[in-house]
Amino acid sequence: MIHDSVIRPNLVLGDKSFHDVTSEICRPIENKPSTTWTVGFIISAIFLGIMGLTLFITEYTGIGTWGLNKSVQWGWDITNFVFWVGIGHAGTLISAILLLFRQKWRMSINRSAEAMTIFAVMCAAIFPFFHMGRLWVGIYWVFPLPNAFGSIWVNFHSPLLWDVFAISTYFSVSLVFWYLGLIPDIATVRDRAKSAGRKFWYNLFSMGWTGSVRTWNRYEVVSLILAGVSTPLVLSVHTIVSMDFATSVVPGWHTTIFPPYFVAGAIFSGFGMVLTLLVVARKVMNYQDFITIGHLEAMCKVVMLTGTMVGLAYITEFFVAAYSGVEYEQYAFINRATGPYWWAYWTMMSCNLLAPQVFWFKWARTTPWFIFMLSIVVNVGMWFERFVIIVTSLHREYLPSGWVMYSPTIIEIGIFLGTFGLFFTCFFLFAKFLPVINMSEIKAILKNRE
Amino acid sequence: MANKQTYWKGEDELLRTKDFLASQKNEFHEALPLDEVLSENNMGLSANRRDFLKFFGFSVAAVSLAACNKTPVRNIVPYLVKPEEITPGVANYYNSTCGACSSGCGVTVKTREGRPIKVDGNVLSPVSGGGLCSTGQASILSLYDTERLSGPKKINDRKNSPIEWSSLDSDIVNQLGAINAAGGKIAIVSGTIHSPSSLAVINDFKGKYTNTNHVTYDAIGYGGILSANLASFGKQVLPSYNFDKANVVVSFGADFLGTWISPVEYTKAWASRRKVEDATHDSKILTTFQFESNLSLTGSNADYRFPMKSSMESVYVTSLYNALAKEAGVAQLPVVQSGELAGGSIGQAAKALWNEKGKSLVISGSNDSRIQTIVNGINILLNNYGSTIDLDNHSNQYKGIDADFVQFVNDLNNGNYKAVIFWNSNPVYSSSMSRMIVSGIKKTILSVSLAPTADETALECQYIAPDSHYLESWGDAEPKAGVYQLTQPTISPVFKTRQAQESLLTWAGLAFKSLVDPFSNKTIMSQKAEASIYYLYIKNKWALMGVATDTAFNKALHDGVYKMEVKPSTIPAFSANLANVGSDLEKMIIDKNAIDLILYQNVAVKDGSLSNNPWLQETPDPISKVTWDNYVSLPKALAEKSHIANGDLVDVTVGSNTIKSLPVFIQPGQSNMTIGLALGYGRKGKIGEKGAFEAIGKNAYPFVSYVNGNFNYVINGVSIKKAEGNYELAQTQTHFSIEGRDLVRETTFDAIKKNPKAGNDKKAPHLYTLWETYDYQKDGAPNHHWAMSIDLNACTGCSACIVSCSIENNVPVVGRAEVRRRREMHWMRIDRYFSFTNVNKIDYHEDLFLQKDYEGDKITKEKGLEAIDDIESKKGDKANFDHWENVQVVHQPMMCQHCGQAPCETVCPVLATTHSTDGLNQMTYNRCIGTKYCANNCPYKVRRFNWFRYNDNNQFDFYFNNDLGKMVINPDVTVRTRGVMEKCSMCVQNISAVRIKAKREKRKIVDGEIKMACQRACPAGAIVFGDVNDENSEIHKLFKNDRSYRVLEELNTQTAVKYLVKVRDTKTTA
Repeated sequence: MIHDSVIRPNLVLGDKSFHDVTSEICRPIENKPSTTWTVGFIISAIFLGIMGLTLFITEYTGIGTWGLNKSVQWGWDITNFVFWVGIGHAGTLISAILLLFRQKWRMSINRSAEAMTIFAVMCAAIFPFFHMGRLWVGIYWVFPLPNAFGSIWVNFHSPLLWDVFAISTYFSVSLVFWYLGLIPDIATVRDRAKSAGRKFWYNLFSMGWTGSVRTWNRYEVVSLILAGVSTPLVLSVHTIVSMDFATSVVPGWHTTIFPPYFVAGAIFSGFGMVLTLLVVARKVMNYQDFITIGHLEAMCKVVMLTGTMVGLAYITEFFVAAYSGVEYEQYAFINRATGPYWWAYWTMMSCNLLAPQVFWFKWARTTPWFIFMLSIVVNVGMWFERFVIIVTSLHREYLPSGWVMYSPTIIEIGIFLGTFGLFFTCFFLFAKFLPVINMSEIKAILKNRE
Repeated sequence: MANKQTYWKGEDELLRTKDFLASQKNEFHEALPLDEVLSENNMGLSANRRDFLKFFGFSVAAVSLAACNKTPVRNIVPYLVKPEEITPGVANYYNSTCGACSSGCGVTVKTREGRPIKVDGNVLSPVSGGGLCSTGQASILSLYDTERLSGPKKINDRKNSPIEWSSLDSDIVNQLGAINAAGGKIAIVSGTIHSPSSLAVINDFKGKYTNTNHVTYDAIGYGGILSANLASFGKQVLPSYNFDKANVVVSFGADFLGTWISPVEYTKAWASRRKVEDATHDSKILTTFQFESNLSLTGSNADYRFPMKSSMESVYVTSLYNALAKEAGVAQLPVVQSGELAGGSIGQAAKALWNEKGKSLVISGSNDSRIQTIVNGINILLNNYGSTIDLDNHSNQYKGIDADFVQFVNDLNNGNYKAVIFWNSNPVYSSSMSRMIVSGIKKTILSVSLAPTADETALECQYIAPDSHYLESWGDAEPKAGVYQLTQPTISPVFKTRQAQESLLTWAGLAFKSLVDPFSNKTIMSQKAEASIYYLYIKNKWALMGVATDTAFNKALHDGVYKMEVKPSTIPAFSANLANVGSDLEKMIIDKNAIDLILYQNVAVKDGSLSNNPWLQETPDPISKVTWDNYVSLPKALAEKSHIANGDLVDVTVGSNTIKSLPVFIQPGQSNMTIGLALGYGRKGKIGEKGAFEAIGKNAYPFVSYVNGNFNYVINGVSIKKAEGNYELAQTQTHFSIEGRDLVRETTFDAIKKNPKAGNDKKAPHLYTLWETYDYQKDGAPNHHWAMSIDLNACTGCSACIVSCSIENNVPVVGRAEVRRRREMHWMRIDRYFSFTNVNKIDYHEDLFLQKDYEGDKITKEKGLEAIDDIESKKGDKANFDHWENVQVVHQPMMCQHCGQAPCETVCPVLATTHSTDGLNQMTYNRCIGTKYCANNCPYKVRRFNWFRYNDNNQFDFYFNNDLGKMVINPDVTVRTRGVMEKCSMCVQNISAVRIKAKREKRKIVDGEIKMACQRACPAGAIVFGDVNDENSEIHKLFKNDRSYRVLEELNTQTAVKYLVKVRDTKTTA
């Protein structure tokens, strides 16, 4: 039995019945796409096309089409990779950790957050693949190469390899978790389907869901297990991504604070992106009753908390560099703040540390347009954080003779914009063909359920 | 005995039944299993007609599909008769003489399968001493230059058309004969020739055509010294300078380590006197004083460098003379102006010279014979003749008399010459009298060029009879009196070219005469003989010199060098009237407030004769690190005053000559009120047959003036004007300060005499590694640990190693645009850092520096600048940048350090970079997928990524994209593909070759047997390679040397490359 609190505000507004929930959430799936959807989808698809074109040029001509050089050999590529991986984190956090903590407000947003995770990881994966000099050789890299002395395995010392394991695990668990949650809802859509085609496809993907108590029981158990599996992943993925930097000797990278700092940053940017998407989606798809101001407010609080954590990390880094007495480390940080890329550093600082502090004010947390603006600021800030870490550390390292400047080419910009095309194309398709809100779970938290 | 025993198969056969006998008559007397074969049930092995057609169809399709895979046809042409001396895969070495300039360095040419692929210094040659400059290294590519002419040409209106050698010869012989018969004058214009045989060829030519005049013209000449020596000693020669015998050298603008006369020879001698090992209280090293305007390579290595305004050189040289005359008690020269530089540096130099009387050397880069005469006077005062200056064993390296050439040009332009032959000289490009020469050539009846390419001069002539490359030719040389060297062909002529000497002999009618081999007395009749005509000619010549047997000649050919006895060096009688010269110089009008233009040579491109060589263009200037362009080198103070910044363009005007839109580079160390501009750039017109050759940089030769009988490279009174537009120079290094980091350690000679560890006593805590460390002494591991030591005190930064490394390791040339993107591929680079000189030597802001806590010997440009800016802004004045002319420079060669605990190795996900058991950091190109993490994690930033495919790619039209250019590729080194990381391999191919050889001979590798490409090139001998585990090796001793240190030791990378502390012989530094 679920006991409802009498004094807690409703998580779903509008005094909905079960039927209301189903019909309202299924509306976009069952009706013709709206003009907003069509226009949005076409624009996304164009950007996806740009990505295809720029990736083709890259592979056909060489990585030389990017702005990288002898000292800065990772630039926008890895910046974007970390950016997208970070965005993914909110989904897993919402679906796994909040599930374990029985945070019921997660129920109306977890579906889209998880979808976002999957699409973001897909976008992220583009970069490590295409930043390789020889993509076609990279395919065999994970297989042992037999020879006369035994097999040559991959290098287990390399954080890049840890990355491969971490991200592929993360992606597959997230995908399974997301799909599992979808099954009851797909069954609902199947049951409401009128055309044969819809019946066939939704039937196929509902995997014979009957809605019996036994199935529900198993569903709940598996959800909990997957939540348990996902929880460490929330922490591990970005920890390992941070080790790409932390295990190196590059001043500005070689620091033990990176794992917690990166995880906080990932959650921060993830919630930023969830807010960006949902503030728009709830308006466009008329889901205000499901994704309420209360949801937005809760997420704003998370953004403020993690933003402050990240800011603390920035300041700690400076302190540690100063305290270490290592001149290279000290210079790396002075260079971040005052060197030629100072603007990137201060963009990062103001977007990530200062801007979220406005969420101390209730008005700021409850005004959707303002939240939207700020979520964009957070996204920009987190992108710059990665840029600052990667580029400003590399461009001035140990030997001043190798000090260079880096700026991206149009190809790199095209690929980055193109990943947004991929992301939104996927998201639009998701919104058109799958229920964006978890109907079955929402029904469990309706106040006046029959 | 036959076996009578009978066996039977069955009862039928034994009993021989009727049926059996009948069946025996059939061919197949047992029933064939036809039914079985034809039945459908039998596993489909059988087939009915339709199935058969199916199978047939499938097979045909499969076979044709398989046949679609087109295997590229590659032809390997085997030796029909294998030459005895060539084993495929094994290199042959031949000693020869470098033809890149007239210094005449002895070289060793490495050939593989009959292709020359590398030129290194010949250790036996007294000129090169085993080293070779970047120009000489790169000259091998000119052999495989697609712009070379493929055969003789007839030029009509600057367009060339092929012609047969025979018709060219008959045309020329007929015309020459007619001209000579009519008494018309013939001129042969050549660069300096010090080859005894070539000079004999010219004499033979003169014998046939009696009106022939031989004019020697050097693009950049030393006529001033020649004239001065004629006036002073009655000998019109360049002396031999023995830097190794000097304790003090004072140079006025002579870049003797970079470009002046014979830099390889001088660098070797200079470096040999910079050794500080076992220094005692009385030890001396060669102290170098450099007075100059441009910051030259020599200036960057000098112990004391004093910026001077070069147009005032005569004043300073006179002052130095007077200071020494005062010491010597002889009459001083009359002076009106005071000739002391800031800080009393002339006096300082004079004192140092006088203390080392007889063991000192004063030289000047000026081409003014009056200045050179006073310099001679100074050296006479110092008793330097007979010790550090040798006129008896003089140099033949430059012989051009400028006045003779000017006379020739005037005569030519007046129509006095009826025929002109240009050999190894390109005055239309390299002379400021270019226009007169062009119009003069038009006035001749016959004009012939012997240039290998259709260069600027050749295009104005009627015929081009292309000379062969020196690697295809026979020849000899006498770069210094008594030092004879041979040039031998290492490949058959690539094109239908003929070496110039044979052309001249042919035209003189001598090539077809019987030539006798002087040793075998065999008469060889015609050009079709087994040996080159000129080869026999040389043999005849050498026989007269005393090399009279085959054994002796072959020994000389094998060694590449034949040395006559060294004459004792004497003190010549000095006959110049210095007082007259001095008062003559006094009359010179010098505008002190006008800007000077100093025309200089780039260390790699030099006079521009090899300016289309991509290796030379991509070699960064050792000081500015600019590639692929010449530029106006501007002092900071002047730039600030005229509001010109890096990236701007300026117009430079001298009199009526203007060169428009020259890029600007603000050069720390450029003396105030002077600007520098390199000669040798801006080659234009059609070079070769392929079409237009894009001019690189701008031609500055038109600025060369003619003063007092010599060409003058220092022009007083130029104006610069900011022009429209911007231009980005392609630099390999843009940050000039070392930021006070402990990367280059340096000390002074005085300090090291007291404490051998001086300057090298810093100990910092280091990082710990996550991973296992390597143990090279472990059982089972081979007893090698390859290591390298680089002596920063010997390295001059000349960059010969960069070119050598690129050639040895097939490092691609990437071009200007890619260098701008900071993607040069050099495995080896030379880091160069500037610092402001010590507080005591800065007069400009002495007070300011003293007020601030300026760290004297620590190289911090920023701190010094901040101090000045700070105080000056308080004063309300504009910042003063005068002190920018006075900088100190350090050069640090940097390549893969082969770390024992390499940051790159642990981060590669696919083990493409690993550690070898003998201490090398290896790259496995096949395994590299190009994540580039290794390069990011390399603290030394020595890893280079193949951003594009640089071979077979017409975007990179240098030499990797054509079959001819590819002949220079070293077959022992993989040409890397796109997307692969590469870096210095410690010439692992050379290590392997020696290891295999030693193994086959069942012996240990001898110390010094393996030589790196950079090590072989280094004229200073700064680089030593060896096995640090071998306790008797030189490298082992060097690693234990008190001066030895690792760069970034605190990272605990345990590098296999160690540096030796730089030592300056300065008194003023702490």
